[in-house]
Amino acid sequence: MKNNFVKLAGILFLIGAISAGVLAWLNDTTKDIIAQNEAMASMDPAVLEAVMPGSAVFKEEDAALIDTIKADNKQFINLLTAVDASGNEIGKVVRTLSTIKGFNGDMELYVGFSPDGKITGTSVLSHSETEGLGSRTAEPGFMNQFIGKDASGEISESDYDAISGATYSSKSFLSAVNNAIAVYTEYVK
Amino acid sequence: MNKFEIFKNGVTRENPILVQQVGMCATLAITTSLVNGIGMGVAVIAVLTGSNIVISALRKYIPDEVRIPAFVIIIAAFTTIIDLLMHAYTFELYKALGVFIPLIVVNCIILARAEAFAFGNSVLDSAIDGLGMGVGYLVAMILLSSAREILGNGTILGFRILPEAYEPMMMAIQPPGAFILLGLLIGIVNYLSRRKKA
Amino acid sequence: MELVSLFITSFIVNNIIFMQFLGTCPFLGVSKQIDTAAGMGIAVIFVITLASVITYIIHYAILVSLGLEYLQTIVFILIIAALVQFVEMFLKKSAPGLYQALGIFLPLITTNCAVLGVAINNIIYEYTFVESLVYSVGISSGFLLAIVLFAGVRDKVDYADLPESLKGSAISLITAGLMSVAFLGFSGLQL
Repeated sequence: MKNNFVKLAGILFLIGAISAGVLAWLNDTTKDIIAQNEAMASMDPAVLEAVMPGSAVFKEEDAALIDTIKADNKQFINLLTAVDASGNEIGKVVRTLSTIKGFNGDMELYVGFSPDGKITGTSVLSHSETEGLGSRTAEPGFMNQFIGKDASGEISESDYDAISGATYSSKSFLSAVNNAIAVYTEYVK
Repeated sequence: MNKFEIFKNGVTRENPILVQQVGMCATLAITTSLVNGIGMGVAVIAVLTGSNIVISALRKYIPDEVRIPAFVIIIAAFTTIIDLLMHAYTFELYKALGVFIPLIVVNCIILARAEAFAFGNSVLDSAIDGLGMGVGYLVAMILLSSAREILGNGTILGFRILPEAYEPMMMAIQPPGAFILLGLLIGIVNYLSRRKKA
Repeated sequence: MELVSLFITSFIVNNIIFMQFLGTCPFLGVSKQIDTAAGMGIAVIFVITLASVITYIIHYAILVSLGLEYLQTIVFILIIAALVQFVEMFLKKSAPGLYQALGIFLPLITTNCAVLGVAINNIIYEYTFVESLVYSVGISSGFLLAIVLFAGVRDKVDYADLPESLKGSAISLITAGLMSVAFLGFSGLQL
């Protein structure tokens, strides 16, 4: 009786273990594609268009590279590859926090770079700037001035127009863009 | 029974939805468009055939006392495989079918075929049985989902087939339409099979 | 307040049978008489609530922390099957009266997709523990409501003069469809 019970439990356990093994393997092989699908679905098309016109999704880069950059650059969050609808790579996107605090803390940005090293666009993921003043850094009127800027070196304060009355916020935004440029020139170019 | 009889049995005489009326939840819920109906049908064919094959192959090693939990594990494993594959390769369909993909595991038809057929027949016969039952399920899904899409949207597979002037019968793609149209479909099947017998 | 609205939404507005189609098999199968329908409904409330609590805890305490979310379907269905067995044994020993009333429904509940459906929905909708509890009770009470109402109507339908081909499940489905129309009326309810 007791032996029988052990045998039954053993067989069930074996079936369960083999099933779990197969699923673990399959989960591993499909994990990246699923993550990418989910990322694509959760991306706001307006953000994609603002950061990298023509892109369909931002794909994750190699995790080891991300970890290296993170160890080196505290404000850096992620480096992504922008891909168009047919799957061709059309540029890189850096997700970063600002290095200079704004009026109310850090800002978080996407900055897109074309393969020839120019900024394609930016988008503010989060900020806590004053509504109506600092928040205007997240509007096209301010952000569009960065489009087409050369990413070979830092953009200096004399090279852009700050929002009057929101100098801190503007500076914070600029510092995030410059941090993205730093990551881009060091790890992508 | 020869191989073709086994297959035909599942599609017609013992059709899981139209005759046996099991596994109705997904049938009613996701048949709002033909694409969804076909997607669900194909997913069920895959799980049913796969689990039938494995259970039949293992039938000599699975003791009678624990066969039901063993079946459940095997069916759940196949369901999860389909779940992962659809999540990865047919993302929009996956989102449309939602919770009904994992729920394939409790679709009574699959456990019923494992118990009634696969556990006592050869691997090849069980595969054909699974395929036949699955195709029977698919046929019913196609009938119901095309009826709902045509009436409720005026389209089939997204192409407009009824003239613009046709006012879509919203009810058909809303929940009541599912119940009523499936009821009528089963009524028609009853009528046809009674006439055949008479 | 949000919990109250969650309860009413899952109880009536998104009624499990008439709007979500979960648990249609027992709904059609065990609704010939009001008494048995009520017994089934109460057994379902009991099992769904218990199963939701246990699967919720196991999901977050074990599956998520070990990164094994892909085993969700297998683990949940085994938990539900074991739970139903356990409840059956427990009732048989400690509450024979209740067992007499609910016992025959319990095995049927394992393959009731409502139980697994609610357990999975708790995770998909990212409910907190309390929300998932309220959701489970609401949804399963909705099942009780639906099946008792339906059994009442079905009593009358059985005596109606119908075309032979529509007798049985065909007319049951059409009846359910008409009741679903009534429930569709709640969907405009703003809570």
